[in-house]
Amino acid sequence: MLRTTARQRRLLAFVLLAFFLLYWIPFSNAFPGWVPVQFGSYRIFQATTIAMWAIVALGLNILTGYNGQISLGHGAFVALGGYTSAILIFDHNWPFWATIPIAGLLTGAIGFLVGLPALRLTGPYLAIATLALALATPQILQKYEGLTHGSQGINIDSPTPPGALDNILNDTQYLYFFALLAAFIMTIIAWNIVRSRMGRAFVAIRDSEIAAQAMGISVPRFKTMAFAISAFFAGICGGVYVQVIGFVSPRSFDVLQSINYLTTIVVGGLASILGSILGAAVFVLVPEVNSLLEGLHLPAADQAPDVLYGASLILVMIFMPYGFAGFIRRVGRLQPPLVMQSLSDFFGQVGLRVRTIRPNGGGGGGASSGKKRDGSS
Amino acid sequence: MELFLQQVLTGLATGAVYGLVALAIVLIYRSTDVINFAQGQMAMFTTFFAWMLLDGSFLGRNIHPLHFWIAFVLTLAFGIILGAVLERVILRPVEGRPILTIVIVTLGLFSVFSGLATWSWGGIPKAFPPPPEIKVTGISFFGDGALDIGPTVISYHDLTIMVVAVGIMLVLYAFFQYTPIGLAMRATAQNPVAARLMGIRVGNMLTLGWALSAAVGAVGGMMIAPLVLLQPPMMLGVLLYAFAAAVLGGMDSPPGAVVGGLILGVVENLVGTYTTEEYLHVDWFGPEMKLTAALVVIVLVLMIRPTGLFGRKALRRV
Repeated sequence: MLRTTARQRRLLAFVLLAFFLLYWIPFSNAFPGWVPVQFGSYRIFQATTIAMWAIVALGLNILTGYNGQISLGHGAFVALGGYTSAILIFDHNWPFWATIPIAGLLTGAIGFLVGLPALRLTGPYLAIATLALALATPQILQKYEGLTHGSQGINIDSPTPPGALDNILNDTQYLYFFALLAAFIMTIIAWNIVRSRMGRAFVAIRDSEIAAQAMGISVPRFKTMAFAISAFFAGICGGVYVQVIGFVSPRSFDVLQSINYLTTIVVGGLASILGSILGAAVFVLVPEVNSLLEGLHLPAADQAPDVLYGASLILVMIFMPYGFAGFIRRVGRLQPPLVMQSLSDFFGQVGLRVRTIRPNGGGGGGASSGKKRDGSS
Repeated sequence: MELFLQQVLTGLATGAVYGLVALAIVLIYRSTDVINFAQGQMAMFTTFFAWMLLDGSFLGRNIHPLHFWIAFVLTLAFGIILGAVLERVILRPVEGRPILTIVIVTLGLFSVFSGLATWSWGGIPKAFPPPPEIKVTGISFFGDGALDIGPTVISYHDLTIMVVAVGIMLVLYAFFQYTPIGLAMRATAQNPVAARLMGIRVGNMLTLGWALSAAVGAVGGMMIAPLVLLQPPMMLGVLLYAFAAAVLGGMDSPPGAVVGGLILGVVENLVGTYTTEEYLHVDWFGPEMKLTAALVVIVLVLMIRPTGLFGRKALRRV
């Protein structure tokens, strides 16, 4: 067995990951034979979608995973970000890159305002109040036609590779790198937030509001802050979404999507940066399993996906109580091959923390003891 | 005035439908502390079971079509068994896990039931008969036709739904408040550990909660199906309103669920009627935003009473 230090393994994982994201996915088509699995433009688009979805999942995870507030309304924030960006580009001729921070900041401000009434609500009441937000958004978007162009939505041109890049990248590859960069920046931000004083305050409030208060943490301040930050992430995701898809309409953001965001982070792993990203990947790739099934020509295979999807959700929750992130951690602790150990060390570094979650603020004794699974050695 | 009364009455009828499903949601929440997203699809599934009995083709085999009330009772039994089995097989392994985990499991059940129903019965909407007429000493219940109340009209079926919703609510209220089992169920939801120490069979109480809730859902499904046609997505809209109704009334209060449903139905209907251009001359609001208006009402109520109209604030010892 090769002897390696944790540091070397982390470096190896980093190199592998960078190779995979920056070279294998976007360029495997251009250089046939260089890599074992080819990624066509549809696959690149899927990778782009994963990157977008990861941004909103990160934000929701800060709110729900780290701060313990459930939101079933994040589709509304994504819609707000998307429309902000689309309107600035379409009606005011802004350059696309400038609209995305504005989309994030405006949505963050609205998120702050939503966080204020949310202070009084917990558990199912908060869940339904935020669900109301997601339900009302399409109606509001449709009604105020003057601003939103009503039900026909807004079409914009997706950005194309500028200048010299034009020779190297096609449009799909360019959008992929664009979304990847956005997801990368947001991951770094999220990582820094959850390891900061603020992040620790979020977790303390989640585990016990009263104890947090006793430690001098301003509960209302940090709870509204969590909402604002979470909405900021969703707004950025909306901005990126518009560039990639090139279209927004009231129908782009239905309730199901908001519910799916929540499923994403629970399946990926609550209170985990890696979990948000894994959850996004799982969610985007679920339809792949369906197409595999269709290949088998089973009877009634066109109905099977729903059943299969539901059953796998249930099984994942039964057998991976801490989501995929917790599962990987556990696998990494066994006597793993080098690559697995490397990934495990690497993600231990980027702030994977899986803890027990009690979104309702927890019960009595022992609520906050939890299972703290700390980073690497 | 006539229009107003008629709209209130129609709103009450719609609201009773929301209230019925909200009752089932409250029942599970009250006894197991879980929001069940699969409630609507479970009700749809049991209603398909009833439809097979009534239609005379049970799982592809021809049977003699049953009378409505016999099918009704069999469907209730089916609902109870379905709920109990789900709790034992699917929910038991995740018992005691974080609430979000359990919520995702119910979302999984939602998909499974949608898929199974489409698989077994196809997506084509089917007509589901309303309960047949019963004559008791000259007064007829159920059946077709409508009842004149002053200047307003209400169909027998709407009336049936209202009576059923209020009836189930009263029974449940009495059950939780005055029977030992009801008390044990409430104790289980509030603190499973302490309840177990007191000798309550916590597992059995959870099973019972799911069984009862599935049965109430089954009644709801059979009442709603004649109005909306029987098809796999028939409960989606109703479910969201039912959640809102349950929250408005207070998640742990059966009367709250029905009252919440009725308020929601009436508000929605009145807003839809009185914001048309005939009555309201503004650009920024219209009848197509009646859902938004109803939701704003709910959020406002929650601002003043964070646990709904009838909900009790959960007190915790530190």
